[in-house]
Amino acid sequence: MIRTILLIVFCFIVLPAKVSALEPTEKLIFEKNSLYQYISVIEDTVKGERYVRNRKREYAQGGIYVNAPDKLLFEFTQMGFISLAFLDREPKDVLFVGLGAGAMPRYFNRHYPEANIDIAEIDPDMLAVAQKYFYLKENEMMKVHIEDGRLFVKRSKKKYDWIILDAYQNDYIPFHLTTLEFLKEVKGRLKDDGVIVTNITSPFRNKFFDSMIMTYKKAFPHIYIFKGRKSGNFIFVATAGRKAKDRNEIESMAARIQSSKKVDIDLSGIAARFELSTDYEWERAKILTDDFAPVNLYQHQKSGAQ
Amino acid sequence: MIKTVVFICGLVVMSFEILGSRVLAPNFGGSVFVWGSLISVFLAGLSAGYYLGGKFADINPSSRKLSLMIIAAGVLLLSFPIYSAPVSDWIFTKDLGVRLSPLLASLVLFLIPSVFLGIVSPYTAKLMICSLHTSGKTIGTLYALSTFGSIIGTLLTSFYLITIAGVNALIIGQGVLLIVSAIPLFFMGLSCSRENV
Repeated sequence: MIRTILLIVFCFIVLPAKVSALEPTEKLIFEKNSLYQYISVIEDTVKGERYVRNRKREYAQGGIYVNAPDKLLFEFTQMGFISLAFLDREPKDVLFVGLGAGAMPRYFNRHYPEANIDIAEIDPDMLAVAQKYFYLKENEMMKVHIEDGRLFVKRSKKKYDWIILDAYQNDYIPFHLTTLEFLKEVKGRLKDDGVIVTNITSPFRNKFFDSMIMTYKKAFPHIYIFKGRKSGNFIFVATAGRKAKDRNEIESMAARIQSSKKVDIDLSGIAARFELSTDYEWERAKILTDDFAPVNLYQHQKSGAQ
Repeated sequence: MIKTVVFICGLVVMSFEILGSRVLAPNFGGSVFVWGSLISVFLAGLSAGYYLGGKFADINPSSRKLSLMIIAAGVLLLSFPIYSAPVSDWIFTKDLGVRLSPLLASLVLFLIPSVFLGIVSPYTAKLMICSLHTSGKTIGTLYALSTFGSIIGTLLTSFYLITIAGVNALIIGQGVLLIVSAIPLFFMGLSCSRENV
């Protein structure tokens, strides 16, 4: 009896501490259960990096270098900017769906101060965290709208040159932001020859990745893929224009942007990872629709393509 | 037999509620307001159903009437894909705000089916007590079965069914399941004669 009680007491004391423990070099500086998620801000004191996470040890939604907050910390945020090389002009109107730590819009705003930026973010606490811990400041050109991304897109009357889809909850994209119907709505908000970029995490090739490729292919004439080296991230670039782009075009455009905008990311290096979606297409993958979109389950099932 | 029907109705209620979130998301998003609307409307429907079910059960209850009420719910689900998209789209265009829009959509789409399904448990309880002369234990068993059905419906839908078929196909399937399970009830001929009341 006493043994059992001791065991239970032991479980209560030791297990929670163990489960929630951070890496030895990490310290928790903020946590909150918001309407939508558990938000924690964690700083790695040795690496000098600060992250926002939905679970203490899992994937970060975003982050910064504490001593160089204007640099882009994560590979997927750097890679996303390659999609600017698919535009024939400088973007004037830009939409981000999903805020995270706000590193991408902040970086873009600094290098393209003349562009109008709308950001759709569902969670007001995420905005507060980005402002307090990640130096996000709204300004004349950059506004955050607290609204579900799908609703913002449906209600918006504005047309955009560049749309960035990066709305995650933990490690998955809410299903209604993955479907063919949604992509068509997004496409409807693009100007002629506008560009969409999406961050897809697929640490191992899973069925969700297969379906995303086929769904994007159904909605857009051309899809290009850039694969992460340090992470399981894939960047999808979709163009609304009819003309296909080739690697040379993108590489030279990337070099041009890199020098004229003085961006401190290796855009040319990223451009060299240019791949066509055909290398990844698996014809039998199911297209995700509002009617059928088992996002969570597909993420845990291995890809059917071999 | 009649207990199986109660189990199935419990199963369909929760399965339908899980799918309801998918029905609403394209037009109303995945916000906490959508979930709040959906859950409260189902609970409102069920509580109205419990009340009405008890009331109807006092007026010559029969398995035939019970079967018709379940078939009514089944027909609503069977035809759900026909009216759900136009209704959602219409409410979306009215733009009543982030709270009122999903609440109104939930009321229109989910209230009446859940009223019908709520009627089942109390009605069946009365029917079994007065025609089969079972005891108060029946009521406990029926509520347990209904809730157990709901658990199965929730898990089955969210863990499995969503991967194998579309939302509309699943809702049609639920409608068929309700109708098929209610047909034998129609011919069962259980009723409460006056002496029993």
